[in-house]
Amino acid sequence: MIKLERRTSIGWFAQLSAYVIAIGLGLLVSALLIIASGASVAEGFGALYEGAFGSSEAILQSLVAATPLIFTGLATVIAFRAQIWSIGQEGQMFAGAMAGYWASLYLGGAPSFIAIPLIILAAMVGGGTLSAFSGWLKSRFEVNEIISTVMMNYVIVFFLSYLLAGGPWTEAGTTSYNQTPILAENFQLPVMASAAKLHIGFLLALIATVLCYLIIEKTPLGFELRALGYNPTALRFKGTNVGRTVLVVMFISGALAALAGVSEIFGVNYRLRGDVMVGLGYTGIIVGMIGGLSPFGALIAALLFGALTNGSLYMSVLSDIPPALVPAMQGILLLFFLCTSVLVRFRIRIKRPAHD
Amino acid sequence: MIELFSPAILMSIFTAAIGVSTVILLAALGELVTERAGIWNMGVEGTMLTGCLIAYMVMASTGSPMLAATVAMASGLVVGLLIAFMTVTLRVDHFVTGLGFNLLASGLTLFWFRVYTGGGRPPSYDTIDTLAIPLLSDLPVIGPILFDQHLLTYIALLSVPFISYYLLRTTRGLEVRAAGENPQFLESKGLSVSTRQYGAVLFGSALTALGGAFLMLAFADQFRPDISGGRGWLAIVAVIAGNWQPVRTMLAVLVFAVLDSVAVHAQGLGVAIPYQFFLMLPYVVSLVLLVSIRTRSGQPAKLGVPYLRH
Repeated sequence: MIKLERRTSIGWFAQLSAYVIAIGLGLLVSALLIIASGASVAEGFGALYEGAFGSSEAILQSLVAATPLIFTGLATVIAFRAQIWSIGQEGQMFAGAMAGYWASLYLGGAPSFIAIPLIILAAMVGGGTLSAFSGWLKSRFEVNEIISTVMMNYVIVFFLSYLLAGGPWTEAGTTSYNQTPILAENFQLPVMASAAKLHIGFLLALIATVLCYLIIEKTPLGFELRALGYNPTALRFKGTNVGRTVLVVMFISGALAALAGVSEIFGVNYRLRGDVMVGLGYTGIIVGMIGGLSPFGALIAALLFGALTNGSLYMSVLSDIPPALVPAMQGILLLFFLCTSVLVRFRIRIKRPAHD
Repeated sequence: MIELFSPAILMSIFTAAIGVSTVILLAALGELVTERAGIWNMGVEGTMLTGCLIAYMVMASTGSPMLAATVAMASGLVVGLLIAFMTVTLRVDHFVTGLGFNLLASGLTLFWFRVYTGGGRPPSYDTIDTLAIPLLSDLPVIGPILFDQHLLTYIALLSVPFISYYLLRTTRGLEVRAAGENPQFLESKGLSVSTRQYGAVLFGSALTALGGAFLMLAFADQFRPDISGGRGWLAIVAVIAGNWQPVRTMLAVLVFAVLDSVAVHAQGLGVAIPYQFFLMLPYVVSLVLLVSIRTRSGQPAKLGVPYLRH
């Protein structure tokens, strides 16, 4: 009975019902929130849908909004599958954006096809290193990774604030905007669909999803990563350097989160500023978890949440419902999902003795 | 930099630190009891944030700090019920529960705050006054530092020996600790593990929410999103660095409070080092504490392990 409890994979029907119940309850509570805020539910959800999927332009914008969430969601999947509870995606995204921007300062007149890969590389190293630092603290000093990643999130945000408000990267003459000057055109990510500025970051996110799937399911590293989650002791006996695996897993996770920063700064805003990224890392955790810690699940969740985020802007224009409804909905969905996935497992567990 | 070390400024730094410490201390004591019962509650930050928003709304609407603190504690109980239901009854992973709840609290408080202000300016109020203890507050140096504080600060400081006594010297405290150390034994004596774990989580969450309420009532006249700013996380660090002992946990909290207070003063004095580096200090030092103080002898044996009845 206990063994069954520990299994992470349950039947597809149980999994599906967990989702259906969670989404149903989540929508119900969200509707209650809308009612409590004094607005009409039909109007609210209608505007949300319209804003997210109402036109081809809206759909493209939803994809743009989903892009950073795919990256931070994948970052979550990679770490959590190894049962490393890193919640540093937020800080690593900031670090990635900062490292990418720093690289761009040395790339002056370089053509796009040279500059952009280097910026992406620098960002991945930046985010990956920050993340690996927490991994090192975990394996070397047994510092809980949740705590160290949270602390680094705060440290990084203050560091960026220094750089942009009075520090070396401040836009000339305007400390109050907390931003850098606008990026030169050769640093901006190429746009694939001009209607909504859908940049190549989205394509990269799709590629990253497939790569993550391959890494987790088809490579020796993926085996170690999953084994780390199930049974680290057995892995150690097998001769694997567990500390090294933790570092590598954390580095990959951080590098993925960094790409979210690249996509927001170099693909959407064209200048480095903190407020446009706030929360995308934390939302990635919800994306990863609701995606069932699978890369494709995270992709679907990210597309859905991106659409919600995009739709919420339209909704807030049409109604009095604040766009903050969406982060609230996401949190509610996550909690219901966590409960129902256990509950469906419960049902299997309780039925067992009756058959024996 | 040197201006930070003049006697008058030092006095001011320590006086403010004792006041600020109350926020983290209440949360840390709550988390300490929760963890001693075996529940590793990572939702402290979200619980504190909930307490902040509830206290803010009640205070802005009624102007009564007592009512604000009471309702905030009640909201902490509701939060505790949710977290206990997930960790004790459903046995969802403790870390996952806490992380999930923090994300929920972050989103819900933001939404509710926006609805409350309705797009207008958020209402503000006067922060509560300190309560000087007659005679004692006239003592030189320690008078203002220790005896001219808020009522809740005295209560928080006094609850350190009280909780220490409760956990270590009473039967009920022993039962709470047994839930974290050896739940099978507790169950074999016919005592319910889940009752004690529910109780510990409810108590801890109420205290944490009270800490959030104090932050709002004493130091901020207005709510803003994520105003708790990592203090809930610092409370968890204080429990670990304090090796799950009340007095040591309090000392760790005081370290954070002094750093917090130094940052505020440095900002006000216009010290040459950019203020952001001072603001980083508590978070950096928390990692230094965890790396350097690695005694984990007080960690409950079954901390974070969902208990399965046989």
